[in-house]
Amino acid sequence: MEQKTRVYICCSPHKRTGATTTARLLTEYLIFNGRSFAGFDTDPHEPDYGARFPQAVTIVDAATIEGQVAMFDRLLVHDETPKIVDVWHRSYSRFVETMSQIGFMDEARRAMVQPIALFHADATSASPAAALALAARWPELGMVIVTNKGAAPLGLDASDILAQYPSSRRFVIGALDASSRACFEAPEFSLSHFLLAPPSDMSIVTRTSLRAWTAQVFTQFQTFELQTSMQGAQFL
Amino acid sequence: MKPAVILVGADKGGVGKTTVARALADYLTGKNIMTRAFDTESPRGTLKRFHGDMTEIVDIDSTSDQMKILDTLNTAQVKVSIIDTRAGALARTLRALRDVGFFDAVREGHFTFILFHVLGPSIASLDEISETAPFVANAHYFLVKNHVNDSTFFEWDPATYQNYFSKTRGAGELTIPKLSEMAYEQVEIAGSPFSQFVGNKTSDGRPAAHSFVLRGYVRTWQGKIAEEFEKIGLLDLISGASQKK
Repeated sequence: MEQKTRVYICCSPHKRTGATTTARLLTEYLIFNGRSFAGFDTDPHEPDYGARFPQAVTIVDAATIEGQVAMFDRLLVHDETPKIVDVWHRSYSRFVETMSQIGFMDEARRAMVQPIALFHADATSASPAAALALAARWPELGMVIVTNKGAAPLGLDASDILAQYPSSRRFVIGALDASSRACFEAPEFSLSHFLLAPPSDMSIVTRTSLRAWTAQVFTQFQTFELQTSMQGAQFL
Repeated sequence: MKPAVILVGADKGGVGKTTVARALADYLTGKNIMTRAFDTESPRGTLKRFHGDMTEIVDIDSTSDQMKILDTLNTAQVKVSIIDTRAGALARTLRALRDVGFFDAVREGHFTFILFHVLGPSIASLDEISETAPFVANAHYFLVKNHVNDSTFFEWDPATYQNYFSKTRGAGELTIPKLSEMAYEQVEIAGSPFSQFVGNKTSDGRPAAHSFVLRGYVRTWQGKIAEEFEKIGLLDLISGASQKK
């Protein structure tokens, strides 16, 4: 059975939830596995995601029609190349509104494109409400709730908070120690390059910590991809 | 069903008469209502450019063209006729229709007459309302607020708004929402009806490569206009199921 083209929408209506980190990790996962991708960064002012992958990530202003055309028209191309969108929290509402106005989900279904919202949880009550609104608007939209323990820790009430979200599918991004985080956040740092050839001047402790952290994340991505592929398989 | 004439007009230019006529033609075609259209923008008509198959260019002042429209109302297979008046020609067209006895025939129930009076964001445009009033006694008269140009129609000034809109007792209102400029211009370049653009077809029916985003905006816009037409019960008015109150 023909596989749908996946569109990962890394999003949250709030800042500092780790959406850009997830977009970046997903990108590194695809690069590490030798796969092509197309990325979009909807923060036209400080595009961190776009700046890290200038060859493959298009920076768009989702508030303009030109930006919407550059992004959504490409997202609807069924070419089996995964698309990753880092939705800036300030453009979240506009992004969702545009999806609605242009009939994005209907066209995605016709075009064999599978949008998946990687919705980033946080401890506010508005966050699950936004996720519920999204799920109510488009029940067919795949949704994974992402918890970034470093960027937006949920604390002791994590399981109660997560129970309020509409999807039981989860990604958990662990918290990095300070040294590894500084390394990961350095502008020139590439996780896929690091995994292939760690810099010789990097501390062994940092190296081990980053490897363990990355392995945990990549395993989740791989499992998700396998599960999604199996769900679409005709012979099962 | 008796023949129906839908006149789309305004004396003021640039208020979006032809856009409304095009949206109307698309709506009726989409509802499988056989429709013909007359474009009074002689010698070259914008409506004719977008709906060439159904549109004929006429000179409303010419007797032979008046005959072409009115004398065929009863005999034509197509029972709905849209007349898109060019700028400055609404009052003249209404006078011409009166002079040939069309309004008498409407009063006697031979024809249905619907007038879409497209308003612009100026006092001059609103002044047209009172000038039009004498002609619309037996018409289904609708004031069309075309928001394509971001007009507020003086809603921010209740005195002015009331002064004009309270004069039109019995008139319905229709709101044409704003369509993004880029989407509008892309349809303009394509030179095809809105529905054909949404269907990703060229003007001659071949597959096109129009932007999905722009098609989506046009589709949503058309959906809102269809809701407006449904709100006023346009199809019932045309079929005669709904009478003028």
